[in-house]
Amino acid sequence: MAPIVSVNSLCVSYRSGGRDVPVVHDVSFEVAEGRTLALVGESGSGKSTVAATLLGHLRHGSRLDGGSVRVDGKDVFALSVPELRRLRGGTVAMVGQNAGHALTPSMRVGRQIAEAGGEVPVLDLLEQVRLPRPADLARRYPHELSGGQQQRVAIAMALAARPKVLVLDEPTTGLDVVTQRGILDLVTALRDELGLAAVLVSHDLGVVARMADEVSVLRSGWVVESAPTRTLFAGAQHAYTKRLLASVPRLTDDGLALVGENGEREVRAKAVVDADAPVAVSATDVTIDYGTARAVHGVSFDVRRGEIVALVGESGSGKSTLAWSLAGLRAPSGGTMSHGSGDLAKPARGRPTALRRLVQLVFQNADTSLNPRRTVGDAIRRPLRFFGTAPDRRQAATRALDLIRDVRLDPALADRLPAQLSGGQRQRIGIARALAGEPDVLIADEITTALDVSVQAEVLRLLDDLRRERQLACLFISHDLAVVRGIADRVLVLRQGVVVEEGPTEAVFADPAHPYTRELMAAALEPDPDAEPFVEAAPEWLDAAEPDDVWADHGDGHRVRRWRPASTSVPEGVS
Amino acid sequence: MLVFVARRLAAAIGTLLLSSVLVFLALQALPGDVATQILGKDATPDAVAALRKQLGLDQPAWERYFDWIKGAVHGDFGTSLVSGKPVGSEVAQYLGNSALIAVVTIVFAVTGSLVLGILAGLYRDRWADHVISTASLVGMSVPEFVVATVLVLCFSVALPWFPAVVLYGPDASVGQLLPAVWLPALALAIVMAAYIVRMARTSVIDVMASEYVTTARLKGLSTWRVVTRHALPSALLPTLHVIALNVAWLVGGVAVVENVFNYPGIGKLMLTSVQNRDLPVVQAVALISAVVYVVCNLAADLGAMALNPKLRTRGRT
Amino acid sequence: MTTLDTAPPAVPQARTTARAWRTLRSSRTALVGLAIVGVHTLIALLAPLLTSYDPIANDPSHALLGSSWSHWAGTDQYGRDVLTRVLYGGRYALGVSVVATVIALAIGTVIGCAAALRGGWFDDVLGRILDAVLSVPAILALLVVVTALGTGPAVIVIAVAVVFVPQVVRVVRGAALAVVPADYVTAARARGERTWSILWREVLPNIADVVCVEFAMRASWVVLLISSLSFLGFGADPPTPDWGLMVAENRTAITVVPMASLAPIIALATLVVGLNLAADGLSKAWGVDRIREGS
Repeated sequence: MAPIVSVNSLCVSYRSGGRDVPVVHDVSFEVAEGRTLALVGESGSGKSTVAATLLGHLRHGSRLDGGSVRVDGKDVFALSVPELRRLRGGTVAMVGQNAGHALTPSMRVGRQIAEAGGEVPVLDLLEQVRLPRPADLARRYPHELSGGQQQRVAIAMALAARPKVLVLDEPTTGLDVVTQRGILDLVTALRDELGLAAVLVSHDLGVVARMADEVSVLRSGWVVESAPTRTLFAGAQHAYTKRLLASVPRLTDDGLALVGENGEREVRAKAVVDADAPVAVSATDVTIDYGTARAVHGVSFDVRRGEIVALVGESGSGKSTLAWSLAGLRAPSGGTMSHGSGDLAKPARGRPTALRRLVQLVFQNADTSLNPRRTVGDAIRRPLRFFGTAPDRRQAATRALDLIRDVRLDPALADRLPAQLSGGQRQRIGIARALAGEPDVLIADEITTALDVSVQAEVLRLLDDLRRERQLACLFISHDLAVVRGIADRVLVLRQGVVVEEGPTEAVFADPAHPYTRELMAAALEPDPDAEPFVEAAPEWLDAAEPDDVWADHGDGHRVRRWRPASTSVPEGVS
Repeated sequence: MLVFVARRLAAAIGTLLLSSVLVFLALQALPGDVATQILGKDATPDAVAALRKQLGLDQPAWERYFDWIKGAVHGDFGTSLVSGKPVGSEVAQYLGNSALIAVVTIVFAVTGSLVLGILAGLYRDRWADHVISTASLVGMSVPEFVVATVLVLCFSVALPWFPAVVLYGPDASVGQLLPAVWLPALALAIVMAAYIVRMARTSVIDVMASEYVTTARLKGLSTWRVVTRHALPSALLPTLHVIALNVAWLVGGVAVVENVFNYPGIGKLMLTSVQNRDLPVVQAVALISAVVYVVCNLAADLGAMALNPKLRTRGRT
Repeated sequence: MTTLDTAPPAVPQARTTARAWRTLRSSRTALVGLAIVGVHTLIALLAPLLTSYDPIANDPSHALLGSSWSHWAGTDQYGRDVLTRVLYGGRYALGVSVVATVIALAIGTVIGCAAALRGGWFDDVLGRILDAVLSVPAILALLVVVTALGTGPAVIVIAVAVVFVPQVVRVVRGAALAVVPADYVTAARARGERTWSILWREVLPNIADVVCVEFAMRASWVVLLISSLSFLGFGADPPTPDWGLMVAENRTAITVVPMASLAPIIALATLVVGLNLAADGLSKAWGVDRIREGS
């Protein structure tokens, strides 16, 4: 059977600063009807550029340098304007990364779906993407929908004209795991139902393993390896692919994975926290409000020196709010937070300098956490001088270089501006800046979320090394259960500001007892096409905590908020 | 939505009150005593005192302010110190004449500049864009009086199509003034359009580069539909406020242009009353300018609400 | 241990000003604009060397002459050489405008940054007051101040500065608001830095480009406003050589000696075009979209 998509020696370049920069080199692949091909790569690999060419689209400033893209027998870059319009929507349709930006804000979603053409009534389409109350939903504007609903609308819009090929550009990036799982299940079902061929662009090897029949791995615009999914995940040939696969943290790792040059994978045992290690920071019954909304509700925990405690939850669970509050950026409305040497309930300005320096925050997004107009050295010297950890200018300069070395970077980078560093380097500088105050508590707020998977592995290792060297008490905020499994000693699972389960990492992962924890683990995707769900999916449940009986104790500090199965079945919730 | 409208309305009234206080205070703080000015330097102290009492100047400032505002709300702005006529009716007459220019200016400037701005944005970096952008750059670089002078040179002197100056007083009829309206309106429209063109161009370029416009294109829609349905509602949003500011700017802009053409409008009145230190008239003109400014901004906000469902549906989800 | 994480090609040490200059050089628009303004500045400074005529001395015997070798742009009704007056005219326009703009920008930047950083009631009240000030047309405010306090350059400088402060505050506040939520400002707050220190170290360097562009654009408006004021007879006192005043004086004789009106118009227009080009080019080169900033 002839392939429905065939890309031949595609070359694309982008014009920047007066010269052409090639972004796609000699890329070729084919997709047969009903099959799914995944284009995998880290940022800057050119995968999205390739995907857009299937619709005959090039970004402003990009140019086709050679090769051809044929879809359904037609060369898309040779089509006339009306033919190209018929191709888009009619033959190929695209679902973009961020449906919140891809839907026109001033138009009702029903109209947007309707104008995509096709004979299928809008309400049927909305039903097909499993949206509840389609008639009401069609009359809403995009901003009135949740992220998951927006993505479903985007899928309905793509399917409206019943295309033969679906291009999915990072369709679930930015969504919570449970929502992501729902969207992926939906896409799989629709693809099989309608017999679509699909091209999936993703950086997430878990998503790829689950969805794709074949995989092409891209790096800096080159295809480094192409293979059927099972073959690739079972035995990748190229060293880059091997390293990439090895870098993905897994729910089964009971320590941090160290990745070798050729993708060897070694799981390092966790550091043992001394039984008599002092408590560095402790929170009791902390409650934080945003106006009338309660973001965090009665959360308690201790973090000891040399220990990493993880706060896990989806967006809106209050985990970052808690971290910021601890860092002194938002005063809690109730409960106590204390450090060995003082009270942390007050915002940063109210804390004595000596205390401020001991509790330091590392931000999620290293791109915005460094002042773009100041050199990296400046960024580190400032806290050194401000906290008085370096008594004079000369010593501050020396100490700054030491700190840059401590985060495993070349001290020569000190004179660079943040824009001249890579994402991973910036995040290391962020850590170095936090270390400048010689803290004993480090709060890491989703510090690897914005990083590529191979870089993430390195930053996680750095963090683990530092806590061993400096006996740091570390509060690690993350939404990624696999990352948490590898690095944390203890875990707290947060849901809507409430802790539903907590305990030693091994205990929680060995026997997740709260249905919400199980739901999160079941939704997590492993980089293995044959992976069974990590745990059985959870039953419907209701909270059953009473004021004097909140916890069910599972021993060894593992405790679970009381719950009971829901007696009546609730209709499928769509987030 | 009603809450939003009510809040904007309350804010508008607040701004208006505040600016009336500012205008009043600023004019009170001017050096020199009004009574002395009217009577001249040689007036006897008794006469000055009598006039002060007659003008209410012996009362405390805040009382005079409330009297003034109370009158202003009812259209009574006091009596002109120069002509002795009620300020309200005098200002209304001049204002009516200026409105004639303003309406013509706004109609031409707004429609013309939107069309040009959108065209320039859509054909970014092509010749049409270069021509429009250059013209608008020149338009905003030349002061009103220069544009007016050049227009007189072209269309009154070289080609005697329009009158160079108006020979009628403020009580002229619309028919008498009509031939004299076009040149001042054109001068104002050229300056005003330059800003709107630039804003419309920038926001069209921004919106055309947005993800949702790309998505609409990749849906296979025609360019016309993509532009009119997906791009323009969002592109017009920031332009609205620039239009509002420029319409409000007209009140000041007419001062210069009306002076060039000797046109009996509010700008000319502003100038002469400042020259004559006719404080009640200056106060009234300033207050009216503030009203125009506030109303224009309010209209822009309401227009934004019509274009942006996020504002309209606030509180519904 | 592998390092997949490679840095972009190494660039030799780059200081902020050096980088600003490099991007600036890449913009032809900005260079042309700055060159025009530079030429105007030079002419204004060197005017006495460029011409031998006196810009204010009357010479009735040479009134209303056309262009000739001795008077390139002719003479006006008082027999003064037009070109000389145009050359000298830049002194008043540039001097008053630059000083007024600098003052307006300095005050506006401080207030705008403070409003963005403080937020809350301070920002609200300030917004109301600025709106109220903006609601009175600039030209009316200037007319009143000038009639009350006289037309000396100092009065005009201060009046113009005060009239333009609210607009500068708005633009700077908008730019600073985009910077304030950034994590590096949050980091400084978490360190417990003082407001001033945050303003100076974290916020200002990141809005310096906006302020520069704002300077060029605001200066062009000030030049226009001051020339309008002179044209109306409320600005420069005769016989000061000023472009606005020259147009007003020679307008009536425009059919006899058109150059007497056109020369100051050309001078004025080129200066403002230069300022606008500079503002445009700078904003493009530095990625500051000045129009969106809500001017």
